[in-house]
Formats: sequence, C-alpha cells, structure tokens
Amino acid sequence: MTAPPTSEVEAPDRAQGKVRFRSEQRRNLTGWVFLLPAAILICLMNFYPMVQALIMSLKTGRGTRFRWADPLWENYTRLFDDDIFRTTLFNTFFYLIVQVPIMLGLALLLATLLNNPNLRFRGLWRTMIFLPCAVSLVSYSLVFRTMFATDGLVNDTLIGLHLSNAPIDWLGNTWTARIVIVLGLLWRWTGYNMVFFLAGLQNIESSTLEAARVDGANAWRTFWHVTVPQLKPMILLCAIMSTNGTLQLFDESWNLTQGGPANSTMTMSHYLYQLSFNRNPNFGYASALSYAILIMVAVLAFIQLKVGDKRD
Amino acid sequence: MFELNRRHLLAGALSAAAVTMVGCSGSDGDSEGPKAGDKVPTSGELSVWCWDPAFNVYAMKEAAKIYQKTSPEVKVDVKETPWDDIQTKVTTLAQSKKGDQLPDILLVQNNAFQKNVINYPELFADLSDSGVAFDEFGESVVGYSKIDGKNYGVPFDNGTAINALRTDLLEKVGLKVSDFTDITWDDYLTMGKDVKAKTGKPLLSAQSGQSDMLMMMLQSAGASLFGDDEKANIANNETLKVVMKYYGELMKSGVLVELNSWDQYIGSFVNSNVAGTINGVWILGSVQTAKDQAGKWEITNVPKLVGVDGATNYTANGGSSWAVSAKGDTALAADLLKKTFAGSTELYDTILPKSGALANWSPAGKSEVYKKPQPFFNNQPIYSKVVEFAGKVPSNKTGAYYYEARDAVAAAMVKVLKGTKIDEALAEAQKNVEFAMK
Repeated sequence: MTAPPTSEVEAPDRAQGKVRFRSEQRRNLTGWVFLLPAAILICLMNFYPMVQALIMSLKTGRGTRFRWADPLWENYTRLFDDDIFRTTLFNTFFYLIVQVPIMLGLALLLATLLNNPNLRFRGLWRTMIFLPCAVSLVSYSLVFRTMFATDGLVNDTLIGLHLSNAPIDWLGNTWTARIVIVLGLLWRWTGYNMVFFLAGLQNIESSTLEAARVDGANAWRTFWHVTVPQLKPMILLCAIMSTNGTLQLFDESWNLTQGGPANSTMTMSHYLYQLSFNRNPNFGYASALSYAILIMVAVLAFIQLKVGDKRD
Repeated sequence: MFELNRRHLLAGALSAAAVTMVGCSGSDGDSEGPKAGDKVPTSGELSVWCWDPAFNVYAMKEAAKIYQKTSPEVKVDVKETPWDDIQTKVTTLAQSKKGDQLPDILLVQNNAFQKNVINYPELFADLSDSGVAFDEFGESVVGYSKIDGKNYGVPFDNGTAINALRTDLLEKVGLKVSDFTDITWDDYLTMGKDVKAKTGKPLLSAQSGQSDMLMMMLQSAGASLFGDDEKANIANNETLKVVMKYYGELMKSGVLVELNSWDQYIGSFVNSNVAGTINGVWILGSVQTAKDQAGKWEITNVPKLVGVDGATNYTANGGSSWAVSAKGDTALAADLLKKTFAGSTELYDTILPKSGALANWSPAGKSEVYKKPQPFFNNQPIYSKVVEFAGKVPSNKTGAYYYEARDAVAAAMVKVLKGTKIDEALAEAQKNVEFAMK
C-alpha cells in the first residue's frame, strides 16, 4: 500500500511536508484497515440487503417472477388499504404506548430503590429483577401462555382467592389477550432497562443529591429535580431502544397468542413474517411493510432525540 | 406452528399396536413395468426432507430399504426437517434462485402444496408421466398436489377425518357409538346436549381461532373457499354459512368447547374433560397417549350438514404428499416413490403397525394388517374403517391463497361468536382475501 518513491522531490521543505503528510496518511490508513472488516461486513450483511429490500419493495409478482410495480410505490399505497395491516399497526402502537412508559417508570423506580447503599441483599434483588432477560423469548412466551390458560395458574389463583367466580378466558378475548402480552413484556424487559438506569445512577455526583437535601428538598423532589435530569441521556437511550424493540415485536405475538383472537394481538413483524412464509409469498409487499416499520422507527427516534435534546 | 406435534404423539402411541405383522405380503405392485424407468440410474444418492422421526422419516427409511432390494447402489439420506423450516427453506431458496440446494424429495403439507407449486413451478417436477398410478389414490388426496391437470405429488399421510368417542361416557346417557354413525349435525347437537346435561362434559373440543373444524365441516359437503374460477367464494358461500351456524350452535349449547392452545386441546380428551373429538385420523396418536382409557374409545364417521347439496359423512384434515425437486435427480427420485409409496404393499404393511402411517394408496388398504382389531379402540378394526372412509372424502380446492382464506374465515368465526352477524363477518373475510389476492 506504500507509494513508490518519487523523483519529483525538488525543494527540501516541500519534501518535508510530503513526508509529514505521508505519516498522517499512514495513520489514516491504519485506521481504515481496522475499520475495514467491520465496514465490509456491515455493508455486505446489512446495507446491501437493505438496498435490495428497497428495490424489492418497488416490485411485484408471483413467486420469483418479479416486475416493477406500476406505479412504483404500489406496494406502499397498498398498505393503506390493508385492514390486517391497520389492525397490526394499532396493536403494535398499543403495546408501545401502554407498555413502554409503564416499563420505563417501573425500571426507574426499581433502579432508584436498589441504588440505596443501605439496602440489604442489593445484589440479590438486582439479579432477580434482571434475570428474566436471560430467559429466551420463546420459552417465556410459552410459560405465559400456560399460566394464562383457562385452567392455568392465574385463573386458579384468582378463583382460589375468590377474586373471580369463573375462569377468565385471558387469551380468547381481545383486550385481555393484549394485556397478557403487555404483562409479558413488562416482566421480560423491566429488569433490562433497570440495569441501564442503575449504571446511569452511578454517574450522578452524590454531592448534587446532598446539596438538594441540605436545601431541604424531600425525597421526591430530589428524585424529580436532581436525579431525573441527570439521568436524561440514559432515559432517552432506553426510550429509543424500547420503541425500536416494540415496533419490531415478534416472538410474543407469534408464540403467546399466535396473533389471535382474530388478528387482534398480531404485531406488524408477525404479519410481515406471515406475508413472506405462511401465506402466499408476497415479498414485494412484505419489503414495503418492513420499510414502513423502518420509517416509523426512524421518525419516533428522531422525535425522541429532539424532545430529549431540549435541556442540553 | 403447533400442528406438527400431533404426529410425534401419533407415532409413539401406535408403535405398541402390533409387532407381529411385519412383511407378510410381499407383492410389489410393479408388475406392469416402469414407463419412464428406462432412464432411471441404478446408482446415486437421494436426499430427503421430512419432519417426524417416528412417522414420515421412519416411513421413508423403510421405503429406502425396500427400494435398495432391487437397486442396492442407491443411497437415501433422510434429513429430519420440521415443516415450518421446509417451507421457509423452499421459499428462501426459490427466492434467491438457489433451487439446486433443495433435496431430491421433500414432504409437503397438503394445504401448502398448491401454493408452493403455483409460486415456484420451476422447483417441482411434474410426475404425471412418471408411471405412478395416481388413480390408485383417492381423488381428494391427489387433488391437493394436482395443478392445472398435472400431478406434482405422491400422497403419503392420510388426513381422513374420524369422530372418536368415549364409549364409557356415552353409556351413562344410554348412547352407543352406532347412534353417532351416519348422522347429521342436528342429531349430534341433540345427543350432545343430552351428554352435556347428564355427564357435564362437552362432546367436542377445538382450538379457538383455528379453522380446522370449520374446514372439515365445509369439505364434508364438497364445498371449498374458492370457486371454479379460482376466485374467493366466502361471502356468498351458502355451505359456509350453514357451517358457521352449526359451529355457533355447538358453542352456544356447550356441546363444543374452545381452548386456547393445541396442548389444551389434547389435554381436553386425554384428561377426560370431553367425551370425544373430531379430527384427522392422526389425532388417534394423541388419543392413545391416555393409556388408562384403553378400550374405552371407538371411532365412526363424522356428522353431515343439513340442507346442503352434496353433504356427506366424510371429510379430511391435513395430510402431506411427497414432492420431487426438478433440480435434483428427478428420474431416480420419481422411481423410488413409484416403487414404494405408490407400489409396495410391503412398505405399508411395515409402517402401519410401527408408526400408524395409514396408506392413501388403495391397494395397501386391502392388506390383512389393516383388518386387525385394535384393543385400544374396543377391538374395532379402525384402520380398515378409515381406509373405507378415505375413499369417500369429497375434494377440496386449496390453491395459492388457501392459508389467507382459512385465516380470514377463522377470524370471521371469532367475530361471529362475539356477536357479529355471519353475513357481515364473511363479507369482511371476503374483502380481506380478495385484497390478498390482488
């Protein structure tokens, strides 16, 4: 990769300049060499398929016999007429709007509680709350499905405690099924976000908290006006990650409810999979749907960044 | 999806049935000589994808043994691959134009067969001229793998529907299984209410949000979700409306109970919470996991619809057929299927007692093995009964959009049970299916 020696070197000062430039170049080159494997891999495995998917989303046809859609954006306009897509869009946003705030609030609360240096068995509590994250999505979905069966643990408990007279058909009714999915998500992901908040809390100067206490602020005011603002970057990160994750939600919809009853718990990604592999394969349309999800994630992340940036 | 687990259960349970009847009939069924056989190579290796080690994988391995008697140079490599994976692989390989990576033979669910061939005709070999005698299979089972008059599959797994009932529970109400033979859904409802009142148990259970039961009822009258013009026939399908009306009545009267998952469905009869079940014959594998109920079960044909032209007491659910890759060793693969699954009673006599694999190939059904009484089923010769039913099952149109249509009808039924009018729910289903077909 080194340049051949040149005979064009005329003035010593110019030559010197050239040598300096070269070493800079070399340093740059070293940097690029280090970057290259990752860059090539991400281009090949990530960006190339993304471009291909974009091209495919503009095509239509049966099986492998693709032709350009007419008009080109036909697959995208098709999304607007698709009742099932609208249902899945609603379901996904329901999970997003209900579950993410509750989860982040809970995670923040738990992190603050577990950050108390006087608490006993802190490590144990933290591990216990984090542990659900180590469980595979499929297995926990199946366990939840068993727990919420008509003759499952939850109904037995409710009846045993005389809170309910007859078993509730949790997964057979639209809203209870959606709630079960939200509960599952809360159980699975709260601990995960809590760990981020705990890490963030370590970076908060204890002097700021002491100052607030000296000024006579109670626990809530200290939390709200001192801790939360300093945790803002972490909250933002968790919010964006959770939004992204929720919009791409698949396993719970697939394993816990199988999208039912009557598609009322099916997520967009579940529908995307169905369009590609369960039903008559329509990859052009499925690609358009994946780009619609991408655009939604991007827009939401952008809004969150804007909102999060205000204080800085 | 969870349907596949059924077969694991089936095979395990039936293996105990009969061990003494291996290879009693040696006739090969190949006397007329292969037509396309001249070019068949005498050596080579065939790769196969199918999914159940105790059922279809076992059957294919036995078929290979039989084939190797005449062609010892041919090796068969069976790779156990779950159906969901086969479907995903077929789609992915086709889409990325890597069809040559398909195995020479693959097992395809009957419900998905047409969809795959219609979308990827370049992958599947036309077997019409392979010498397989397709007229020796029931018309309805061949129909699943027949596209534009060409045969693309050799039927394997028999999905003929049976009505399995608990004789001990029926006795308490003074009923016998013969009272359920050749009946209508009206009779079934009347007796079901009686059973429910006197034993507290429903006659029937089903998985909620699934279309299996509805499709069985529909097919029993020879009706389909698609018309002869291949357009969706849902909103104005009078048979379907009758089916949904009966399903609603069954639910309302408590004769049918819906459960949320496949495991719960299996549990409902294994734990004696229901007095019977109606499904493809493969369900008997799961039924027999309840060892304590041995001798208390009997089977009969299914009830028929009332007020519908062409109503019968016979239908089917599921099943699968062997497909041959057009990119592989097509001639050899076709020859293997022709001489085994479509030509060897020895094969079926071997696999029936060990795996419960019921033949779709009619000459095999005449074998003595099928007439053996089954102790679990109160010494009924259930296999010959099912073979008899199988010949009477009306055809069903599937096509490329069968899954869309089934899902839409299942969703419509959920809505109807929650109070929507049948016409309204079906109009929406029709709209969704037409949208998918656009």
